[in-house]
Amino acid sequence: MLEIKNLHAKVENKFILNGINLNIKPGEIHAIMGKNGSGKSTLSNIITGKDGYEITQGDIKYKNESITEWNPEKRSLHGIFMSFQYPVVMPGVNNTYFLKAALNAKRKYNGQKELDAARFLKIIKEKLQDLKMDSSYLQRAVNDGFSGGEKKRNEILQMLTLEPSLSILDETDSGLDIDALKIISDGVNRYKSPDRSFLIITHYQRLLEYIEPDIVHVLIDGEIVKSGDKKLALKLEEKGYGWLEK
Amino acid sequence: MNTSSYQSEFEKLLTRDYFSTKFNSQRKNAFEQFLKKNLSKKSWDDFRFTNFSALKKNVFRISEISDAPNKNFKYPEPFTGDNYKIVFNNGHYQKHLTTLPKGVEIFKNLEYYNDPKNKVAQSAASPFDLLNTAFMDSGMSLVVENNIKIKSPILLVFINAGKDQLMISPRIHIDIGKSSSVSLVEHHIGFGNGNFSNSTTILSLKENSHCKHIRLQKDSDQAINSGNIHLKQEKYSKYYLSHFGFGSSLGSVGVNSDLNGQGAECHLSGLCLTKNHQHLDTHILINHKSPNCMSSQNFKTVLKDYSSGVFNGKVIVHKDAQKTDSSQSNKNILLSKNARMNSNPRLVINADDVKCSHGSSTGEIDQDALFYLRSRGIDYKTAKSILIHGFISEIFESLENPKIVNIIKSDFDKWIED
Repeated sequence: MLEIKNLHAKVENKFILNGINLNIKPGEIHAIMGKNGSGKSTLSNIITGKDGYEITQGDIKYKNESITEWNPEKRSLHGIFMSFQYPVVMPGVNNTYFLKAALNAKRKYNGQKELDAARFLKIIKEKLQDLKMDSSYLQRAVNDGFSGGEKKRNEILQMLTLEPSLSILDETDSGLDIDALKIISDGVNRYKSPDRSFLIITHYQRLLEYIEPDIVHVLIDGEIVKSGDKKLALKLEEKGYGWLEK
Repeated sequence: MNTSSYQSEFEKLLTRDYFSTKFNSQRKNAFEQFLKKNLSKKSWDDFRFTNFSALKKNVFRISEISDAPNKNFKYPEPFTGDNYKIVFNNGHYQKHLTTLPKGVEIFKNLEYYNDPKNKVAQSAASPFDLLNTAFMDSGMSLVVENNIKIKSPILLVFINAGKDQLMISPRIHIDIGKSSSVSLVEHHIGFGNGNFSNSTTILSLKENSHCKHIRLQKDSDQAINSGNIHLKQEKYSKYYLSHFGFGSSLGSVGVNSDLNGQGAECHLSGLCLTKNHQHLDTHILINHKSPNCMSSQNFKTVLKDYSSGVFNGKVIVHKDAQKTDSSQSNKNILLSKNARMNSNPRLVINADDVKCSHGSSTGEIDQDALFYLRSRGIDYKTAKSILIHGFISEIFESLENPKIVNIIKSDFDKWIED
């Protein structure tokens, strides 16, 4: 699904990623853990195609195609999704309008007929119920006045709507209370399938109790210094990152 | 500045027998002030960022009786449907096209000024005001009786379609009686050469009256269009303006509001969309002269290409105007490195128990928001359009007439596509 080889990248002449290797197969859930500033968010931004990063070495392949030259919309249309750590507030932009535009962009790209308002609402209302979201969400402006938990649920709603193959959850657990964490995890777990992969980026082991990873990686100074099974996350929780630092 | 063409037109106007000589002293007075102040930046501080070159270079001719449209002139369908309307063509009132509700009377200004309490207003707030007083045409007065509620809007259509570059100077009085309510839609459209349409609208709102006013400026790309709005508000009257500046090469709207009676409210909002080398101005002055009055300003501009804009908003709270509640907001987006906006919100407070706020921001489109939309598969162009639409939507979504909202939306779509 996703194959990253020896990826080096910098922002404004500062190297943030120093040779990342990562191979996520269809159906796998990978977790990347690391402290602030280790390069976690840079990695997710680079995979989704945000401006401002320069790749100096290495490659990112998605479904066997190099995507480093693709713009963000093309990556999304091909099935890459990121749940933002800080979802952007867009005053005046109606949530329904936004979701419908995104879904129809994808349908159009795939040669499907665009959905009219009635059919779109039918689909979206089911997904809202799954996430225990009130339908008044749809009338509000995107993330405007949303609580931390509401914003993250809105991200997962977008994931469920766009049905990506690769979902990157960038610190989706931060700022969530335990009920919201459960709702979101349930949503993700229901969405899991043998042809869908996840990359979960997190500080803490807590989210991984709900969404069980196949492989856990530790990122320090832009390098993956250790990989292991879910027990590695527990060890990090107990011992911190110090024992892995050079 | 080359004022000789204004001078010769002014002299011509004084000789035309279809203009009453009754106001010659007011005309002369205004024109002398105009000549004295010139169009220099020194005399007009509020206009120091306004490019007057089109006013200086072009030679305009006054609109004469012969510039009235011929009978075959094909009028565009009024976009609001079968509402009440008043039509002006090159400044000439088209009586046969007028439909008005009961309780509203229309007079020529000459008749209106027969009543000694109706004086000729002689504002010197801007060069446009001075030119309007000097060159005003025979004009029109709308008088709404007391206790009249008119739900359907009265459409005031200004069609500028001269072959030559005409100077068109309508002067409109609108008096709204006690406890009456009126909705006005002022629609400016232009064809042909670059006319100079310079209208002054003087609104007098009596006690407890309400007026909703939409001004849609869609003059032709070469035109100069100025709208000078003067308000006199008595106690508990409420005035709402939504101004949309889309057309003309040089456009200006000026609103001068006097809140004379306690509890009066004046709520102004506006949206300007600019492109190419277009320049659009907004000049607001609100005088809080009585206690317990409320005013608000919410103006937005989105600028493309080499276009520019000015926002001057000033609120003066006079010393007896306690419990004034006033807010002022001006937000702008620059879509091009070559676009320019000058924003100048000002507050002068001479009372001690007031609530006043003001704010202004000008910047580029939010890059994080753009990436967010694109990361959901929405292409760059659509994403940009969605964000700008979101930015401006609060200005028009409160409008009650869906047909007008649709017009504005389709104008926005055309503008963003260009």
